[in-house]
Amino acid sequence: MTVPLRRLRPSLARYGLTAAMALILVVLVAAPLATILIQTLQSGGGAWADVLASRLSQNLFWRPATNTMIIGLAVAGGCVLLGGFLAWLVVMTDVPGRPLIAFMATLPFMIPSFATALAWGSVFRNGRVGGAGGLLEGLGFSVPDWLSWGMVPTIVVLIAHYYALAFTVIAAALSTVNGDLVEAAQMTGASRKRILFGIVLPVVTPAVIAGGSLAFAGAVSNFAAPALLGLPVRMQTLSTRLFGMIEIGQTERGYVLAILLIAISAIFLGIGNRILNSRRSFATISGKGARPRRFTLGTMRLPLALLAWTVCILTTLLPILLLLAASLAPSSLSLFSDWTLHYWIGAADPAFARGQPGIFHHPQLISALTTTLMLGAGVVFAANALGLLIAVALTRQKVPVLSNAVSQLSFLPMLLPGIAFAAAYIALYGAPIGPLPALYGTKLLLGLALTAAMLPFAVQTGRATVAQISGDIDEAARMTGAGFFHRLWAITLPLAARGLAAGLLISFVNVIGDLAITVLLYTPTSPLLAVLSYSYASDGFHQFANAVTLVILVISMLATCAATLLRGRRRQTFA
Amino acid sequence: MISLNQVSKSFAGTRVVDDVSFSVPEGAFLVLLGPSGCGKSTMLRMLAGLEQPTGGQIRFGDMLVADGGSGFALPPARRDAGLVFQSYALWPHMTVAGNIDWPLKVARLPAEERRARIAEAMEMLGITQLAQRYPGEISGGQQQRVALARMIAPRPKVMLFDEPLSNLDATLRVEMRFELLKVHAATGATSVYVTHDQVEAMTMASHVAVMNHGRIEQFDAPERLLAEPSSAFVAGFVGTPAANLIPIADGKWLGTIADAALPDIAGHAMVRAETIELADEAGPRTVSVTLAEVVPMAGRRLVTGVANGVRITAITDSTDRLPSNLRFRLPPAAAAIFDSEGKRIS
Repeated sequence: MTVPLRRLRPSLARYGLTAAMALILVVLVAAPLATILIQTLQSGGGAWADVLASRLSQNLFWRPATNTMIIGLAVAGGCVLLGGFLAWLVVMTDVPGRPLIAFMATLPFMIPSFATALAWGSVFRNGRVGGAGGLLEGLGFSVPDWLSWGMVPTIVVLIAHYYALAFTVIAAALSTVNGDLVEAAQMTGASRKRILFGIVLPVVTPAVIAGGSLAFAGAVSNFAAPALLGLPVRMQTLSTRLFGMIEIGQTERGYVLAILLIAISAIFLGIGNRILNSRRSFATISGKGARPRRFTLGTMRLPLALLAWTVCILTTLLPILLLLAASLAPSSLSLFSDWTLHYWIGAADPAFARGQPGIFHHPQLISALTTTLMLGAGVVFAANALGLLIAVALTRQKVPVLSNAVSQLSFLPMLLPGIAFAAAYIALYGAPIGPLPALYGTKLLLGLALTAAMLPFAVQTGRATVAQISGDIDEAARMTGAGFFHRLWAITLPLAARGLAAGLLISFVNVIGDLAITVLLYTPTSPLLAVLSYSYASDGFHQFANAVTLVILVISMLATCAATLLRGRRRQTFA
Repeated sequence: MISLNQVSKSFAGTRVVDDVSFSVPEGAFLVLLGPSGCGKSTMLRMLAGLEQPTGGQIRFGDMLVADGGSGFALPPARRDAGLVFQSYALWPHMTVAGNIDWPLKVARLPAEERRARIAEAMEMLGITQLAQRYPGEISGGQQQRVALARMIAPRPKVMLFDEPLSNLDATLRVEMRFELLKVHAATGATSVYVTHDQVEAMTMASHVAVMNHGRIEQFDAPERLLAEPSSAFVAGFVGTPAANLIPIADGKWLGTIADAALPDIAGHAMVRAETIELADEAGPRTVSVTLAEVVPMAGRRLVTGVANGVRITAITDSTDRLPSNLRFRLPPAAAAIFDSEGKRIS
């Protein structure tokens, strides 16, 4: 017995972690997906023919797919430009108020995309699809349809939501660009522009690609923004079309659409991955602490600062203020008059708001609040612990096929529209598996689905930070005889703390702001805040929906502040 | 060729370079030598144009390149100077050839000329076979050669080196020292080289500026630093081994061993290791020490003992086993006397 064990141990050290992660990912990600695939094929492939080659396919697939592509590419481009611009300003220049810009530029991600979409509607909505218009119509402007509904508002709202992701990734990469690299370029007499395009940008290209592909994947699978802004004018994306299919019971066609959406994203992310993994990818960490060298902006300092401030305020403060006003104003046409706290604390009054009491009189608010918080904390912990382990496995253990599988599987949930993912979970875990009971209707199922959905973020942040730590540092700890988990705890975790804080932050806020998964998996006995807000909105009670959304936002802000305080010690390296 | 006149540099009120003046002729190899934090790297960065002096003037030949008084500073590229960074600062997204080429491209040299320059620089550093590799794929010593090649390809009149060998192992360091001198000789450019390693200074320099606390302690040829150190700091910093600095007080070695030849002050006497002998028995000017270490060197032995917490090193030809308690006999006269401030008195 001892001989095989001894033989096993080295291979365990080499593959053990990767193998364990692969197993977990199979259970969390691959198995539900396989279930979808099998179910679409079991019926003889009829659903595939319906979607791809039938009288219906133009409406079922081709038009939504085109819209999805346009949105994905526009949002990825917009996010990289906007996020990259702000990251450059904050990390590389002497623009005034850098720490605050850096902080504000990470906030949009704390705002659920349905909140931004609601805020857009409160200003730009026109009366075309029935109901009252928004603020601009109230002021007497006539708002054209393209600005009220459809493609343009969806893209703008999604850029405003996802550029924070690109900013975070690019800023982190820029701050590791060795100051010497720029100075070496300055010695040659290269112009500022040439240094930017010849040295700085190419060095951060991997981060730019990572940021862009994350924004692309997020945009194509986003459900809330196209649903709120596109569906009223029948603009379908793959995710809204898929939602519609499942809602009307045509689950197989929905699954086919989900698989096609995955394929589209995978092609683009595959291209990105290929560039990232080429031999030109590199770590730019050197022993000597590089002093950051800032470009002086000269006369452009104030205009650029103003531009940055405007972007930050438009994407963070303004939507919140609009939601606040809209939760207080009885008429959506005049957001700033006749304010009342009824929608928050009013008792039921048959003469007002069709007899609905304020949200704090809603019997389910408190239970929704606690469930949301506990679920969020649990999911965040699980997802980030897994994410870090996966990142460590991917960087430290290169196992031929398995590493690639782990990398792909951990990124896959990002491409899965939440609603399809949730349906897949029901399909697989809804019925008992052997001795295991059915999980449908339990918080555990919701927690598992959300954990799997948050993995891509957790792995991405874990990977970005672990990759910055040179192998030497880990090997130095290894020389002391410290075991793997001891090293992880004492060396890798403290070094990765900043990235992990960001990961925790992003996943927590995503969990409590998630709608697509929760709306299908929540249990009626314990509703969640996002679902509560959605059910108010779908009943036409916009003020109440806005109020509940604000509760979510307040929690998100508190989480953000806590995380900022946590990593405050290291802020100076960033801005 | 390079001349500095009362150059100073303050960061947020702290003077890191204080009233530095010197000049070196064309083709000189100047080493800025000092412990970390002495201001030598800041000096180099001011020569490169990456920092501006807050006082004084820097001239390359007749050309004023920086004036702290008026705030004038010629941008780095117009100074005809190249810099090798401690980290090498190779651009990781360009090949070796690409790294060498980029400065030439920025300088708008014609393609034909660039190709010739790249080939020549790679040839000189022996890295021709690495042309298409990326910096992440080559060793530290090779990266160093690439950094050198990149610096010399534009043919600067002034070559600046910021502790370029400190990231290399000992053998490579010796090899690269030779390589650097070869490049210096081949280009004929004036070199300024920053290091904290006095061996590098002694082996490579034509001129050495020993710096401490932002000031020049001594500016001289290497052999003059050894023969006539102008301060206790210099005496203790240069030489292999560095000369002994033995505390004296009231005309007594270590405050205990009276010697009529010593002046009646508190300070340090400089005693070279080769003038201290091992003594068999107590006598005038003998001091008992506890043996600390023995270093064989070039067929002789450096013997270091400790007396009253002061390390004293002697050189001996003796190959006998040494007892743990031994006696050193000090020479009749100290090579130099420094007062308590470290200033040389005699």
